[in-house]
Amino acid sequence: MNQILTITFRLTVSCLLAALVMGSAFIITNKAKKHNEHVREQKVVYSLLGYSDQNPAPESVHLHEVYRYVVAEAGQQFIGYLVPAPHDAAAPFTFVALDLDGKMAFQNPVNAAEEKIREAEDRKLAILEAIGPGKEITFAEQTIVVTDNGQRIAYLLGGKFPGFKTFIAVMMALDPKYTLLGFEVLEHEEDPGLGAEIEQDYFKNQFKDKPFEVLKGLDVVKAPLPAEYQKALEGDLDEAEIAKLMEKYRGNDIYALTGATISSKFVTDGLKGIAKKYAYRLGALDSVLKEQQIAVSF
Amino acid sequence: MNMKRLRQLVLFSLAVLLLPGWLQAADFITGQSFSGDNEITVTFAGPANTEVAGDITKYTIYEEADPDIRLALASAKVADDAKSVALTFADPLNTTQTHVVSIAGLTGEAITTFTVAKPYFGYLLSIMISALLIQNFVFTKYLGLCVFFGTSKKKSTAKGMGVVFTLVMVISAAMSWFFFQFILVPYNLGFLQIVVFIGLVSLTVQAVDTILRKVNPVLFNSFGVYLVLVIANCIVIAVPLILANNNYNFLETMMLALGAGGGFLLALYLMSSVAERLELAKIPPSFKGLPMAFIVAGQFAMAFLGFSGLQLF
Amino acid sequence: MTNDKSISELLSRGILSENPIFKLALSMCPAVGISTTVMNGVMLGIAVFFVQVFSSVTISLFKNVIHPRIRIPSYTLTIATWVTVIDLVLAAYMPGAYAKMGIFVKLIVAFAIITMRLEMFACKEKVSDSFWDAVGMGLGFMVGMVVIGAFRELFGSGMILGYDVLGYKPLLFFILPSAGFFVVGLMMAFFNWIEVVYKQKKGAKA
Repeated sequence: MNQILTITFRLTVSCLLAALVMGSAFIITNKAKKHNEHVREQKVVYSLLGYSDQNPAPESVHLHEVYRYVVAEAGQQFIGYLVPAPHDAAAPFTFVALDLDGKMAFQNPVNAAEEKIREAEDRKLAILEAIGPGKEITFAEQTIVVTDNGQRIAYLLGGKFPGFKTFIAVMMALDPKYTLLGFEVLEHEEDPGLGAEIEQDYFKNQFKDKPFEVLKGLDVVKAPLPAEYQKALEGDLDEAEIAKLMEKYRGNDIYALTGATISSKFVTDGLKGIAKKYAYRLGALDSVLKEQQIAVSF
Repeated sequence: MNMKRLRQLVLFSLAVLLLPGWLQAADFITGQSFSGDNEITVTFAGPANTEVAGDITKYTIYEEADPDIRLALASAKVADDAKSVALTFADPLNTTQTHVVSIAGLTGEAITTFTVAKPYFGYLLSIMISALLIQNFVFTKYLGLCVFFGTSKKKSTAKGMGVVFTLVMVISAAMSWFFFQFILVPYNLGFLQIVVFIGLVSLTVQAVDTILRKVNPVLFNSFGVYLVLVIANCIVIAVPLILANNNYNFLETMMLALGAGGGFLLALYLMSSVAERLELAKIPPSFKGLPMAFIVAGQFAMAFLGFSGLQLF
Repeated sequence: MTNDKSISELLSRGILSENPIFKLALSMCPAVGISTTVMNGVMLGIAVFFVQVFSSVTISLFKNVIHPRIRIPSYTLTIATWVTVIDLVLAAYMPGAYAKMGIFVKLIVAFAIITMRLEMFACKEKVSDSFWDAVGMGLGFMVGMVVIGAFRELFGSGMILGYDVLGYKPLLFFILPSAGFFVVGLMMAFFNWIEVVYKQKKGAKA
């Protein structure tokens, strides 16, 4: 009996000790984790826009985050956008809801601090408070509008689509005419040496500067990558040469990765789908914003 | 008695799985399914108004998550008996998503709305097949190799080992799922998952050991020895970690555990069949034992690569 | 065999004569699964090293308090705690490398080698000896991972640590997922062969 008591006591103490170690580790690392994630995301964003440590973004460049929600009210659905308002507006954000045909449904000013809007839970509460009772909202996606001196220069969209094994998460940049500026693979579990090559420049750069018209019908061809094109994609030639070759292949489909046609196809279709949906939605949002004269910061 | 109860259980679970299908079928629409990459087939209880059913402007179709993006229909072909219609789309559909189809003026009501999705049962099976073959835990995820190489010398051992592993995996995965969903997630304790899962696995092994010893000593004598090996094995702890990552529901979790266990059993059995033959083969002395086992496993792994990308449902 | 050990003896045992990967053939999963680059090997090696050293020291420190009947649960708890810590730290400070290693960092908790060292060594010996023993074993694991990683990276993609050294890709085969089995098998055979040749030479001399 006594033995059992000692064992129980010692086990409890060791569990408490372990919990203490793990708990403090969690508290210390959690903050750093969030910070590092944010830094990493910013880095991807700026590198997609063509900025780097050597060539930092000028002060005039601003990122405006737009959050899209699906709003449900009494059997009806709306698409709601949380857009940042201009600096001098009364409320820092506006929630604009469109019906499914892309027509204006309702709008509400959202009065919440920027830090709050960054946290998913707080953001949801702030919106619910602004739009009134009886409505349910589900977060759909976050996109970024980039402006330079008030002029739009790019859109940044994230996305996740099925890959050959699990999911592939990407971030892509479009210019105001929806020409694909480039994309970055954030997460994937494709096979090393095969599907994992989607991370390589010679694959990623094939998508660079594809105009929206080409992008809409983009497909994958199962043909070997021409040697001159590969050199241009990997940046092994001088700039004029690269520009010439990129121009030559601009209208072409994507050359599939050797041994990973399916991964290549998934990436191509994924990017195509994200861009098409975004172009449609932004068009609808822009025309509503213009029509209703809703002032936004971008 | 036991058999009867088992049958009842199976019937009940089948009923639960198929219930959504029955409920939907109560309407004028009796069936809806994806057929091919860019086609949806809808069947009706009786002949439909061909003018409505064949008119693509009467349809609105979208993916459940994207209600504002209408999918463009290329054609709607009504069958000769007007009891079904084949909807062809301009672009390939993403069949993993649930699609919502509305038809205006087909029945008495203004708009008939129903959803098209892949059968859930098929999805469950695909999780199991995937864990069994495509993502075989031994040959494509490289887990549980210590035990795999240690116990794949004889077919009988391999079978016993595989069965015990599957049993422990299913039980511990079930417990882990409850713990994870109802304790770790609500209280934001996700970082404790390693400790909790390894604790639950040890507990399961201990419980199976005790129960088996009392209930079925014969079985225990043949399988008990393998139980000790289970605790220090990554394949068992990997299942709860994977399900925590993927946010599976309970049925999906069970399928994953079954598939993973079955996959391990399959791998062990295949390997032991080869190992029994290898004993008679002439192997260079420096390759004897483990090196040869690794080469054979490598060949199996390459063969299993052939399953990747396989889609059954 | 555990009496009277010098530091160098303890170290060399883990790295050479009882190398966890090539000699004891324990903890093979990561050696096959994620040994495609040197960097992966180094990172996971560091993680295992950390867990091994901290667990050994912890157990050695508390060896008199741990009741023999709950020995194994105590080991598991200790290892799980330190694995959680390293998992959190890696996820926070090295998200890139952490993503590449995937589930294997968490799976260190089920590494037979660590429990074995606790059971066979740390629960009986002095703290300092346990420390050096753990350092040796941790390094041995890391060396094994790095050797396999270097082989696969060099021959598979012509690079070492991400730097292009060969300028071409000799055999793509070696970085394909399933090649891990072949590489480990071939290396084990190679070490066996060296041993045999070495022994024969010794025998011829004597």
